Amino acid sequence: MKKIIIHLFLNLFILSVGNAWAADSLGISLAPDQANLVSPQMGDWLKFHSVIENTGAQAADGVVAWISLVQVDPGHEQPVDLEDWSAHKAVTQAILQPGQQVKVDWPMRLIQSGAYRVVISAVDRETGHVMTSPFVDFQVRRKPVVESGRILPVALGVPMLVLGMIAWRRYRRRAGV
Amino acid sequence: MNTITLIARKEGGELLLSGRGLAWLLALSVIMSVLSLLLVSNTELSLLDNAQVVYMVMGTVTALGALLAVVLGSDAVAGERERGSLMPLLLAPVTPSQIVFGKMGGQIAGWLVMYLLSLPYVWAVGSSGQNLIQAVTYLALFGTPVVLGFGFLGIALSARLRSVRSALLTSLITLMLLASPLLLGPSLRQSTIGQLFDAVNPFSAAVNTFDSVVIDSQPLVMQLTRLSIALVWLVLTAVFAIRSVRKMEI
Repeated sequence: MKKIIIHLFLNLFILSVGNAWAADSLGISLAPDQANLVSPQMGDWLKFHSVIENTGAQAADGVVAWISLVQVDPGHEQPVDLEDWSAHKAVTQAILQPGQQVKVDWPMRLIQSGAYRVVISAVDRETGHVMTSPFVDFQVRRKPVVESGRILPVALGVPMLVLGMIAWRRYRRRAGV
Repeated sequence: MNTITLIARKEGGELLLSGRGLAWLLALSVIMSVLSLLLVSNTELSLLDNAQVVYMVMGTVTALGALLAVVLGSDAVAGERERGSLMPLLLAPVTPSQIVFGKMGGQIAGWLVMYLLSLPYVWAVGSSGQNLIQAVTYLALFGTPVVLGFGFLGIALSARLRSVRSALLTSLITLMLLASPLLLGPSLRQSTIGQLFDAVNPFSAAVNTFDSVVIDSQPLVMQLTRLSIALVWLVLTAVFAIRSVRKMEI
C-alpha cells in the first residue's frame, strides 16, 4: 500500500515538474506605441503593440491573450480593474500555426494617476501554464477633473451676490426708498 | 404694457425683489455651491471624466429649476386665494386667460433667473472640458420645456386643488417620480418597465440628452425624439394649466 502511495506521489511530482519545465509555445512581445505621450496624464490614451507568435513546432489551438495592469506605487500595489481603462480586454485566435504571428493593439485610456506596469498574458489549449510578455512600465500624472481655482470663487461668489441683493433690498426698505 | 406682461412682471419681480424670492435663490445657489465644492473635494470623483461632472451639474440644475417652478406654480392661484387677493384679481378687467398667461410669464422669468444663476457653476466645472458650449445650449433647449412643464403643472394643480399645500404636495410627488432617473443609475433603468418609463418621461428625455451630448458628444439629430417628448410635455401641461384656470371657481 505504501509503495502504491509513494508511486502515485512520484508520478504527480514528475507530471507537475514536467509542466513547469515545458517550453513556452508562444512568444509574446510588448512595446509602447511611438506616438505615446512621454508624460501622460489622466484622460490621455496610450497604445501598446504586442505580437503573439507560435514559436513551437505544433499548431496552437484556442489561443487567448489578455492585457493586465498592475499599480506599483509603494503601498498601493494592486491589480487594476480594466473596466474603464481598456477597449480590448482579451483577444482570441482559434488556431495559430507554427511561425504564425498575431499582432494586437491595446489602446488604453488612463483613468487614475500612479505608476503602472502592463503585461500581456496568453494561454493555449495544450500548454499547461500562462505565457507572458515582458513588462512595460508607465507613469500617469494626476489631472483634476474640476479646477478648484475656478470653483471656489463661483461657489462663494454667487451666494454672496444673492446675499448682497438681500442686504441691498433691506437697506432700501429701511431707508424708505 | 398689456395685462399679461404686467402680471408676468409682478410674478417675476417677486422672485428677484421679494425677501421670500431672494431667500429661495440663496438656498438654490447654496445647493449648487455645495455640489460644486463636493466635486472638487471628493477624490473618488477623480475617476470621473469632466464631462460626467458637467452632466451631473446639468441634471441638478434642471431638478432645482423644476423644484422652483413647482413652488412658484403651486402658489400661483391657490396662494392668491389664501392671501385673499384672488377675488380682486378676478374682479379686475382681466380674463382668466390673461391671468394664466401672466402666471406662465412669471414661470419663464423664474426659470430664466435660475438658468442665469446656474451658468457660473456650469462654466466653473465645465471650462476645463470640451463640451461646455453644448452643456449651456442643451441646458436651455431641454431644461426650458421640462422645467416650465413642471411650473405649468403646478399652476394647474393650484387652480384645481384650491390649496397651496395640496397643490405643492401633489406637484412634488410628481416631480419626485419623474426626476427619479437622476437617482437611479442607467443600469437600474434597463428593465422593460424602466425603458418604458424612460421613453415617455420628459425628465428622462432631458437627462438622457445631457448624457448623450455632453458625455458621448452625439449630435442634435439623435436628440429629436427626446426633444419632441419634452415639447409634448410642455404643451400638455400648458393646456392643462389654461383649462384649469379658466374653469376655476371662486
